[in-house]
Amino acid sequence: MSFFNRLRGKRKRRVVVIGLDGTPYTFVQRALELGRMPNFARMLGEGTFKRMNSVHPCVSSVAWSCYMTGKNPAKHGIYGFIDRKPGTYDTTIPTSRTMRSETLWEILSRAGKRVIVMNVPVTYPPRQVNGILISGFLSPKVEKAVYPPTEVGTLKRLGYIIDADPWAARESKDKALAEVNAALDSRVRALLHYMDNEEWDFLQCHVMETDRLYHFLWEQMDTDDPVYAPRFWEVIARIDQMLGEVYDRLDEHTTLIVMSDHGFCTLKYEVYVNYWLAQKGWLTLPENPPQRLKLADVGPHSLAYSLDPGRVFINLRGREPAGRVAPGAEYEVLRDEIAAAALEDMRDPETGAPMIAHVFRREELYHGPLLDQAADLILVSVDGYDLKGAMGKETLTFKGDELVGMHTYDDAMLWVQGQAIAAEGFCVTDVMPTVLRLMDVPIPDDVDGRVLI
Amino acid sequence: MAEQKGFTLWFTGLSGSGKTTLAKAVEQALRKRGLKVERLDGDIVRRSLTRDLGFSKEDRDKNIERVTFVAKLLTRNGVATLCSFISPYREVRARSRAEIGNFVEVYCECPLETCIERDVKGLYKKAINGEIENFTGISDPYEPPENPEIVVHTGSETVEESTAIILRRLAELGYIEPELTGAVVYSAEEETEVEERLRALGYI
Ligand SMILES: Nc1ncnc2c1ncn2[C@@H]1O[C@H](COP(=O)(O)OP(=O)(O)O)[C@@H](O)[C@H]1O
Ligand SMILES: [Mg+2]
Repeated sequence: MSFFNRLRGKRKRRVVVIGLDGTPYTFVQRALELGRMPNFARMLGEGTFKRMNSVHPCVSSVAWSCYMTGKNPAKHGIYGFIDRKPGTYDTTIPTSRTMRSETLWEILSRAGKRVIVMNVPVTYPPRQVNGILISGFLSPKVEKAVYPPTEVGTLKRLGYIIDADPWAARESKDKALAEVNAALDSRVRALLHYMDNEEWDFLQCHVMETDRLYHFLWEQMDTDDPVYAPRFWEVIARIDQMLGEVYDRLDEHTTLIVMSDHGFCTLKYEVYVNYWLAQKGWLTLPENPPQRLKLADVGPHSLAYSLDPGRVFINLRGREPAGRVAPGAEYEVLRDEIAAAALEDMRDPETGAPMIAHVFRREELYHGPLLDQAADLILVSVDGYDLKGAMGKETLTFKGDELVGMHTYDDAMLWVQGQAIAAEGFCVTDVMPTVLRLMDVPIPDDVDGRVLI
Repeated sequence: MAEQKGFTLWFTGLSGSGKTTLAKAVEQALRKRGLKVERLDGDIVRRSLTRDLGFSKEDRDKNIERVTFVAKLLTRNGVATLCSFISPYREVRARSRAEIGNFVEVYCECPLETCIERDVKGLYKKAINGEIENFTGISDPYEPPENPEIVVHTGSETVEESTAIILRRLAELGYIEPELTGAVVYSAEEETEVEERLRALGYI
């Protein structure tokens, strides 16, 4: 072996990924210009900072599943926060058990790397890794959220909090901030504990608190609310401080990546797609609806229904238990009709402007063995109009003061230390093979993402 | 369910690393799901199909070559085929992989000391005393797989854990349906609680 190769062989390449859920590229640019992220500012020039696309639909469960598998949803099977159980009208919450693909940390584990993974969505129940995995916000409690279970004690001692309580957060902006700050403190504590005290080759810490902050206070920041905008920025300062603390701990063999899964904007209206489908006569709901309508309550005469966000399913014969629409021509005609009508009819009740920017047929977005589980149409809104899957709403649109921010597709971000990225218009799915390349681990053949460096 | 897709699970590892034990456990689990399964095991095959062969490198290669032929026929006819053979040589396994097609390599990783301690068949003792020649791990090399689809660490996992890992990976690879796990994942109470969180965030 040559001297150079020996050197190379010895150099252990490590990667740290910090996920800032929902943090927009354009927002970070603004924060940098305003001097509100001094730590990120001092690291910035050492790597490449670029705008990144999310995936459709751009919710965290789908986007992070695409990230961790490097694959599109028709290969991993996660299409939203809730989904239909195949062949029924029952809904179910997709979990790590339904995810039909190996993840980045499992591939690294198989290659003998030690990994520490904290709080990433759709990792509950924890699957085995070579190292430690702490599941994210759909975990019922810390005791069930950790692999190996022997880590539970450490987390309890650290006062670990899985997630801010969203019901408390809805009560008031003060409570929302208190919830977010407490969860964030516990996250940073655990992150630094593991960084300092454990062996690892790959470490991922997911910060969900940014997403929660934006959902509950984005508008206050956006409109420079005299009371809550400063408190919003205090949280951003804490995030920035965390980035600095991580950065200062790195050695020259470690690459830091900071990324988000989608962007955010002020929510103008929540838009109830099922209300619209019912108005158009495509969805029939029971005459005397129960207090809380479920998908199973959808009337047998229905031709279509929707799940969050903007996923429209045709009530298809042979697939749905009471399917009404024949596969083939009838299905295609109805899809075309709904797609055209959504673009034409769904308009802002005040301004009359279209609320739908784009309608995708599933085969335009997804490819792979699980395509059958996808929605038949995926509606993509104009920013500001948050498409909701709630049933039994009595208006098309609604604006409350609890949830005031919503996700955007084309404004996620990626910063990779010490690397040039020439590509433009890439998406979260591309990060995973990039990490494997950085760590010199072979990329499986069925990965969809491309290496960015 | 769609028609069963054939595949070969190829267990490789030292003698006593758990190939037979895990192949039997996986066989049971697959049969419960109604799949057609055949198991080809080193110790059994060597008493029938390849009883004329010994343990020289040449004979070992022939042994695997014949087994591979059978596994190929089974696999292409939609059978879940479970092969457990020490199969110590990388190159030979690569040939089986190329020949069979839907090939899932399971590396039963287990420290040699543990295998010697287990000495399931009393063979290590004999090999160490020089009573058996060319014994893998003692007087013949074992080349661990470089990129197996599945690795189980049988020295530290229980049989149940290793079996669960294999079944999960088979589902991920699309060869079998994933387990219906709703009840295991969340209790009824937990499921309601998690749904409420999603509702608070506007996702339901
Ligand atoms: N996780 C495990 N997987 C398989 N076998 C295990 C495991 N843990 C302990 N064992 C024990 O190890 C032994 C393996 O023997 P066997 O299956 O005959 O090995 P092989 O077929 O590889 O020669 C059995 O006694 C089994 O009970
Ligand atoms: Mg055996």
